[in-house]
Amino acid sequence: MSAQPFRLAGGGLIDRSQTRSFRFDGRRYEGYAGDTLASALLANGVRLVGRSFKYHRPRGILSAGPEEPNALVELRAGARREPNTRATTTELYHGLEAASQNRWPSLAFDLLSVNQLAAPALVAGFYYKTFMWPARFWEKLYEPLIRRAAGLGRAAGREDPDHYEKAFAFCDLLVIGAGPAGLSAALAAGRAGARVILCDEDFRLGGKLLNEKREIDARAASEWIADALAELGSLPDVRIMPRTTVFGVYDHGVYGAVERVSDHLPIPPAHQPRQRSWRINAKRAVLAAGAIERPIVFAGNDTPGVMLAGAVRAYLNRHGVLPGREAVIFTTGDDGWTTARDLAAAGATIAAIVDPRPDRDPALTALATRLGARVVTGIVAGATGGRALEGLTVRAASGREEALSCDLLAVSNGWNPTLHLASHQNTRPAWDDAIHAFVPSAPPAGLSVAGAAAGRLSLALALVDGARLGGEAAAACGFAPKPTPQPPRTDPEGVAHSPVWRVRGGKRAFFPRKAFVDFQNDVTDADIELAAREGFRPVEHLKRYTTLGMATDQGKTSNLAGLAIMAEQTGKTIPETGATIFRPPYTPVAIGALAGHHRARDFRPTRLSPTHRWSQDQGAVFVESGLWMRAQYYPKPGESDWLTTVNREVLAVRNGVGLCDVSTLGKIDIQGADAAEFLERVYVNGWKALPVGKARYGLMLREDGFVMDDGTTSRLAQTHFLMTTTTANAARVMQHLEFCRQVLWPTLDVRMVSVSEHWAQAAIAGPKARAVLQGVVDPRHDISNEAFPYLAARAVTVGGGVPARLFRISFSGELAYELAVPADHGDAMMRALMAAGEPHGITPYGTEALGVMRIEKGHVAGNELNGQTTARDLGLGRMVSAKKDFIGRVMAKREALVAADRPVLVGFRPVNRSERLRAGAHFVGPGRSATLENDEGFMTSVAYSPSLRHWIGLGLLRNGPARIGERVRAVDPLRDGDVEVEICPACFLDPEGARLHG
Amino acid sequence: MTRTWTPLGAWAGILADGHVGTAGAPGVIALARDGLGVATLIAAEGGEAALAAALAKRPGLDLPSSPAVAHAGAHSLVWAGPGQWLLVAGHRAGFPETLAALSCLAAVSDQSDGRAVLRLSGSKIRETLAKGCMLDLHPSAFPVGMAALTAIAHIGVHLWRGDDGPDGAVFEMMVPRSLAGSFWSWFAASAAEFGCAVSVAEMTAGRG
Repeated sequence: MSAQPFRLAGGGLIDRSQTRSFRFDGRRYEGYAGDTLASALLANGVRLVGRSFKYHRPRGILSAGPEEPNALVELRAGARREPNTRATTTELYHGLEAASQNRWPSLAFDLLSVNQLAAPALVAGFYYKTFMWPARFWEKLYEPLIRRAAGLGRAAGREDPDHYEKAFAFCDLLVIGAGPAGLSAALAAGRAGARVILCDEDFRLGGKLLNEKREIDARAASEWIADALAELGSLPDVRIMPRTTVFGVYDHGVYGAVERVSDHLPIPPAHQPRQRSWRINAKRAVLAAGAIERPIVFAGNDTPGVMLAGAVRAYLNRHGVLPGREAVIFTTGDDGWTTARDLAAAGATIAAIVDPRPDRDPALTALATRLGARVVTGIVAGATGGRALEGLTVRAASGREEALSCDLLAVSNGWNPTLHLASHQNTRPAWDDAIHAFVPSAPPAGLSVAGAAAGRLSLALALVDGARLGGEAAAACGFAPKPTPQPPRTDPEGVAHSPVWRVRGGKRAFFPRKAFVDFQNDVTDADIELAAREGFRPVEHLKRYTTLGMATDQGKTSNLAGLAIMAEQTGKTIPETGATIFRPPYTPVAIGALAGHHRARDFRPTRLSPTHRWSQDQGAVFVESGLWMRAQYYPKPGESDWLTTVNREVLAVRNGVGLCDVSTLGKIDIQGADAAEFLERVYVNGWKALPVGKARYGLMLREDGFVMDDGTTSRLAQTHFLMTTTTANAARVMQHLEFCRQVLWPTLDVRMVSVSEHWAQAAIAGPKARAVLQGVVDPRHDISNEAFPYLAARAVTVGGGVPARLFRISFSGELAYELAVPADHGDAMMRALMAAGEPHGITPYGTEALGVMRIEKGHVAGNELNGQTTARDLGLGRMVSAKKDFIGRVMAKREALVAADRPVLVGFRPVNRSERLRAGAHFVGPGRSATLENDEGFMTSVAYSPSLRHWIGLGLLRNGPARIGERVRAVDPLRDGDVEVEICPACFLDPEGARLHG
Repeated sequence: MTRTWTPLGAWAGILADGHVGTAGAPGVIALARDGLGVATLIAAEGGEAALAAALAKRPGLDLPSSPAVAHAGAHSLVWAGPGQWLLVAGHRAGFPETLAALSCLAAVSDQSDGRAVLRLSGSKIRETLAKGCMLDLHPSAFPVGMAALTAIAHIGVHLWRGDDGPDGAVFEMMVPRSLAGSFWSWFAASAAEFGCAVSVAEMTAGRG
């Protein structure tokens, strides 16, 4: 069919009944189910697919797998656009849209390809050499220019509309790669009863075997694959995961994998993620990832139409696509000759087979004769053609050069084991002279390597290795492997090979032909020579100086040739020159897959108070406070800014009554015969004398003597206390107490558990608080001032028998209570209090008003409990008992912590009462400059006091209490603030505490 | 006295009877268990034997000494750490009395309103939980009666495997009340591809 001019009439693992139409650079094409984007483009005769990174050279498709350095496209459009997507691994789907990258205005005509003319200036390290002067130009001019010109695809720049997931899996054996070795390993372990996970990055399982015309036990390999998959599918504890790339090996048998659940579809179906990242816990793993074929470095080796020989077979045999009609094979081993055979069988003309080895297997010559192909003992010196290959210069061993015309050059230079995962635990691969490649050495614990990935490059070895290692893994997990049947028989294959790393001297005839080592980064052999001359010889320097092996392909096709050229320059062997240690990920992984469900609102969990719905109904504005959402203030219609609202809320409490959710405070239930003794040891103040039914304010130090947390603790019974903590420190205090109990004083009879979640708690504050409560607390409980005085703490019932706890404690300085009910009743409690308070004008207030009132009272909170303050610093030195030992006592006596001139908490008000104070401002004496030497402390908290009608502040000032009445400046250079303030006592309102007892 | 306040369970406003995700036969079944009685029991040093004896008598529970759960009638006892258990009652009638009876043998702290519990089952429940649970829930690794404390979606979870039901394996998941909404956000998204039938257990009378 002319619509796909390079599609073969038959054959291949594609479904010709399933047409898939797609667009590339806006043009519509057709392919079939089973195609990759690359195979479908080739079927349509599209060979130019992108422009290179630096020189904007036309590039085609080099490979048929994840190693692809050239054929990178922008896949999809709009918010789903994915840059740098390898066309060779992109499964074709109906409606696929892709665009070439790094070209302007079009792929065929790219203005920046003039970079090639400037190539002498664009050598390795040119950024550093060219853009040196003047230095200040770097950030503003040079870097943005370079970034615009270089780089490949464009990020979508919009929020990804799709969902991603993370998941955990467990198995006895993880098999990485479902080629002949992987399938054999999975079969051996699965038959023994082991839990097996078999992952393959491809959408079709079978590995390289899918690309080849091979026989196993005298049957087509495809039948063997089908049988193996059918058997694996019948085993209940074997899980087969196609489209799943194992990208990293981590400690203790943990493997990272990404499953492309919906990448083969236009958009994910409803409720399906686009991708799922897996954390696989495997007792054993077999790496059966195969091998990656190596290109040869010669002039013009990046011309579209130059392709790896194995990739040519993949397009022929798997996809039914003829990558070219007139082909030359340039091979340094027997393997490339197979490509000639398969190409000829598909109808291509074999213009020549170029093989530099003089002592070839005679069978190869016989094959060439059968194919009618000319054999040249020599090399390909250069390729010509701009946007498509037009011809080659072939140089015979004699040195004689001749021009050959062709549209396809299949290059074969041996195979590198895909050993990346084996080196993820920082082990260097070892050089194997027999196959001229690095092979895994000392792979991570629990991981063994089979077949081609281990450098054992024949099908027969792959089958044997897989079966053996799969069986061994099962045995190591306690399963009895079935006796190994006779290894399957395979048809003969030649593996003899003698690599040529680069061909010199092809450039003179072909201006400006370059010989590329790293296609993706446009690194040439000349760049490596330059690096050698300039002393960047160790591999890590070579990489950073030339960018060899960087970017999305991480040098899968380039690293070894780069090393080989450096070795040649320095007169060393390749292993002496160095080896690359690969790090995760093996191929790029989308950040979305790593984040999974946890983005936007689900980035971290949110904690909601049991009264949250009530607050919402009241129109609350919420503020994040740790994980909690707390009601910050409750604006009423007509209130234009938050300060208006907060002022109203504060005055409502001071003059009437207010209601505030305090459920988020930490609550720790402490029981046991030694509970009081335990509190004695963790708090600075005394607890043994606290009567049952009473609450007390407590202060807790860290071991180093600084204040850790504060709160009220109530004695519910002789051996039963309820401790409250600040919201922010709830978990930290719980951990601290558990540490004390378990490690420091295991012999104390004290048991504790957090009950924060069980209780909803509300503060009812203001002169009318009691009147409101009397409408909610069941009448049999006397809560009169006499019966329920300040700091009373008792069980009551509310709402007709709901068990509750009532505490007469105050943060605002007013007559105040905290009422706690089981959380199921939290919503009803707030509504009942609002109803009971209606005649008294009850007003909900939030954390802002709470903060204003505690500053008016000089109570410390998070701003002051900053981990750097002692009890004395906070003006709480009187609380510290001298009669007992407690955590932090000794360290709090350190010289610097008791120095007389330490900053201590005092209050501040602006001398000019209309001025605003700012937290964070530093105190400096009048007339002194605002320098570090003159710094006397800083403002920790500020608020506008609607009662006093001016701003007030709390702060830590050197020798503060002795300086009441003095003036200092509060300097805030960040906001150009410099306010004269008067030092005053920290408590601004009702210092006698008369209101508390009202 | 008659109570006039309307309680709201931990799942109120978060989920309701219905179906989440892919239509058709649900692969996952979620039952929100509001109205349970839940309490922490912590034995005193050396007091475990007496507590065990008392629980064996009433309600007839064997005190688990490893991460496991024991059942008797409407009561379950879930290991919650060394020397620590959660007593879970299917309803709250009589629960305060049960706790009062135990209070001389252990530190007893009522947690009934502080925990949100889901009973999860269905043919795809393990696939769903695998999207957040870092424990191996394969039958060979997590048998009936096993319990664990773990974290799912950054939320502390107490989970145990109940007796198999008509839909296969049954997992009970207990999370802090304040985090129930975030937990459900994760669970619903994870179960959606399999389809999830959701129901809420009636709040039973006789709450404590």
